[in-house]
Amino acid sequence: MRTIWLFPGQGSQHPGMLAGLPVADRQLVTQVTGVELDDRDYRDSVKTQLAITILQMAQVDQLKKAGWVPTAVAGHSLGVFAAAYAANVISKADVLAVVKRRAQLMQAAYDPAEYGMGVILGLTRREVEDLVAQVDGPTTPVCASNQNAPTQVTVSGKKTAIKAVLELAQQQGATKAKLLNVPVLSHTPLLAGVAEQLATTLHKYELHAPQALYLANYNGHLVHELDPLAYDLSHNLAYPVYWDTMMDVAMELDLQVAVELCPGTVLSKLLSSKCHKIKRIPLAQYGIDDGLYLLDKWQK
Amino acid sequence: MTEVKSWTTRRDAKRERLAHAGSLLDGKFAQTEDVVALLEHLIKPGDKVVLEGDNQKQASFLSQALVRVDQARVHDLHMIMSSVSRPEHLDLFEKGIAKKLDFSFAGPQSTRISQMISDHKLEVGDIHTYLELFARLFIDLIPNVVLVAADKVDRDGNLYTGFNTEETPTIVEAAAFKDGIVIVQANEIVDKVPRVDIPADWVDVVIPADEPYQLEALFTRDPQNITELQILMGMMAIRGIYEKHNVQSVNHGIGFNTAAIELLLPTYGEKLGLKGKIVPNWELNPTPTLIPAIESGWVKSIHSFGGEVGMEKYIAARPDVFFVGPDGTMRSNRALGQVAGQYAVDMFIGSTLQIDQFGNSSTVTSGRLSGFGGAPNMGSNPTGRRHSTPAWQSLRPAGDPLGKGQKLVVQMVETFGANKKPVFVDHLDAEEVQKEAGLANVPVMIYSEDTTHIVTEEGIAYLYKTDSMAERKAAIEAIAGVTPMGLRSNAQQLADLRARGIVALPEDLGVKRGQAKRSLLAAQSLQDIVEWSKGLYNPPAKFRSWS
Repeated sequence: MRTIWLFPGQGSQHPGMLAGLPVADRQLVTQVTGVELDDRDYRDSVKTQLAITILQMAQVDQLKKAGWVPTAVAGHSLGVFAAAYAANVISKADVLAVVKRRAQLMQAAYDPAEYGMGVILGLTRREVEDLVAQVDGPTTPVCASNQNAPTQVTVSGKKTAIKAVLELAQQQGATKAKLLNVPVLSHTPLLAGVAEQLATTLHKYELHAPQALYLANYNGHLVHELDPLAYDLSHNLAYPVYWDTMMDVAMELDLQVAVELCPGTVLSKLLSSKCHKIKRIPLAQYGIDDGLYLLDKWQK
Repeated sequence: MTEVKSWTTRRDAKRERLAHAGSLLDGKFAQTEDVVALLEHLIKPGDKVVLEGDNQKQASFLSQALVRVDQARVHDLHMIMSSVSRPEHLDLFEKGIAKKLDFSFAGPQSTRISQMISDHKLEVGDIHTYLELFARLFIDLIPNVVLVAADKVDRDGNLYTGFNTEETPTIVEAAAFKDGIVIVQANEIVDKVPRVDIPADWVDVVIPADEPYQLEALFTRDPQNITELQILMGMMAIRGIYEKHNVQSVNHGIGFNTAAIELLLPTYGEKLGLKGKIVPNWELNPTPTLIPAIESGWVKSIHSFGGEVGMEKYIAARPDVFFVGPDGTMRSNRALGQVAGQYAVDMFIGSTLQIDQFGNSSTVTSGRLSGFGGAPNMGSNPTGRRHSTPAWQSLRPAGDPLGKGQKLVVQMVETFGANKKPVFVDHLDAEEVQKEAGLANVPVMIYSEDTTHIVTEEGIAYLYKTDSMAERKAAIEAIAGVTPMGLRSNAQQLADLRARGIVALPEDLGVKRGQAKRSLLAAQSLQDIVEWSKGLYNPPAKFRSWS
């Protein structure tokens, strides 16, 4: 049975989500990064990114222990790291080191009071890009960023510029246009410098050729080789996440089941609007035991 | 002494390849587990290879084996495929086993193929309509090896391909008479085949597959998904086109629009007194939604390009209607079906994703290269046609002594499509795709000059009646609703076009919008269709919402 494992990024984290996390994994985070995870408070992006990532990697371990191996993996933004772990590209400890660095670099780059993201529903990417072009400038930087569905586009940049774009979007007939509550700026060329620094960090660690089909954020393409995959890991924060295109490709890979790792069920919902053929198991909803039960049941 | 030129190089090469694989063959037969070794022995680098790759039928055992060959021995193949449908079809290119591709349809792989072209992992020869690709198999794309699928094969190597014969005879003929190697995967080896679809003399190698070839039910449309707008358009089409032009033969493009028409014939068509008067003859895959019309006595004959999973028992019980062999099972043929669709039908009617200001249409959108399939052929006017029928003749231009008729080519669309985006656009996305994919020409599906009618929920534009591009554009704008293009039309223009019979609104056709209700459909669900078929139609599991 051909499966794809989906790894969400930041956004659905919530207190209590680490309840089932093995002690050894919690300790590994502290050992590698010096950070103590706190399952009550997710205001700090470093803790949030590490918590989400270790949770996903622990679930990957559980799935593999039960004998499951992914045919394909797709991470959304931060999720690319656990996705790479699931594809046997990079070790758990190394992932934690890189993610800590990523989160720190992102936090230091731009003041979240001034920079962030917005979301526009009901307009195509081209329509959003036209609006962005009207506002984007050296002191008002804004870009069209993530594409989660055909008419669901985010914008990233300076909040004043984002607000101007949202206003234009409302006038153009967008069904929704609002600021997102994100802890750090992401998915904009403004982070190109951060990406380069992250690439330097990543280069220190040993990476292996992927053992699953990998769907890349930065261009929405299916990737077989290590180089573009490594580029995605370091640079995806400077590019849009072309999630909708990634899912278009996933639908062409003859997959039967999509397993969504914790937290949240956003990616399963997006997939269900697109495609009825692929069955969905959001682990946040079913839990790992029921998830494994369903995988076994559908295999027959 | 001068060298004597050899005139049998292909024959000699074929003999040598088969001899080379001799240890793997018992006569024509190979073992299932030897499939990869066999392909490595029989295929040489740079070969032109046809892989079946039909619309419905996939030689999946052979394709999954081909992707496992040693790339050092088998590489840089030139693939020729009707339909690029399975992930491994593209994996061949990722692995360097194949380099170049000529194809017709790639809907199921359209995103990935588009990406691979832009990443230079795949070189496209060209994109074709089906019949055109088959034609080139005999001219400049003559295959070295063909990989096809059969249901049953007897001990001599005769093939039975049954309902899903599709393009197999055409592909095999191109190889068999030009020293190509014909390799067949068989669901079963039997003592006697129900009938001989392809004779053993045309076949070189038979290999039993580890599981039946993949077969998709692509032409089944659940009536529950038909909308009231589609019912309204269907009513307008029946009244304003089928009846008006006295259409006797038709091909329906796949879609819910045409499924609605099929289900309106026994009800709305009956009410108009049209039974026995229109469309006795069809070129069509056996769509379940036509069953009520068949059972009600509307249909005399249906010839099909391929089969449809679930329809087997129904077809076998209706040999007066379908093309059924003496053995009781249907035979389909895509090449002949496409020829019939070109020269022998009065009308093609189908749907599309985009129509431009001039009336050109395309289903190609940015980032996806779905190719053409049969539509450019079905949706074109064959100027070589000579025989006259009332419908064809009714489009003859007045006042031209050397004039002749024209095939009706109808595009039926709602003004707004998926994601509430306008179907009517000033420029097709296809124009961008030409640049993205480095194609010689814009991948237009059906050209304006071939399009005789457009139907929207607003009305019908009789484009064949226009005598200038300006008038054609105005007619399209008049039925383009509240899309930006449609807003260019005004009441005065509309009145003028209506007065001259170039545009007809529902009320001009005697169709009341309020009549377009679900209850007008002869069947509301697939379960209803099962009942119409007296239990003979057997919907595949994925369509069953009841136990």
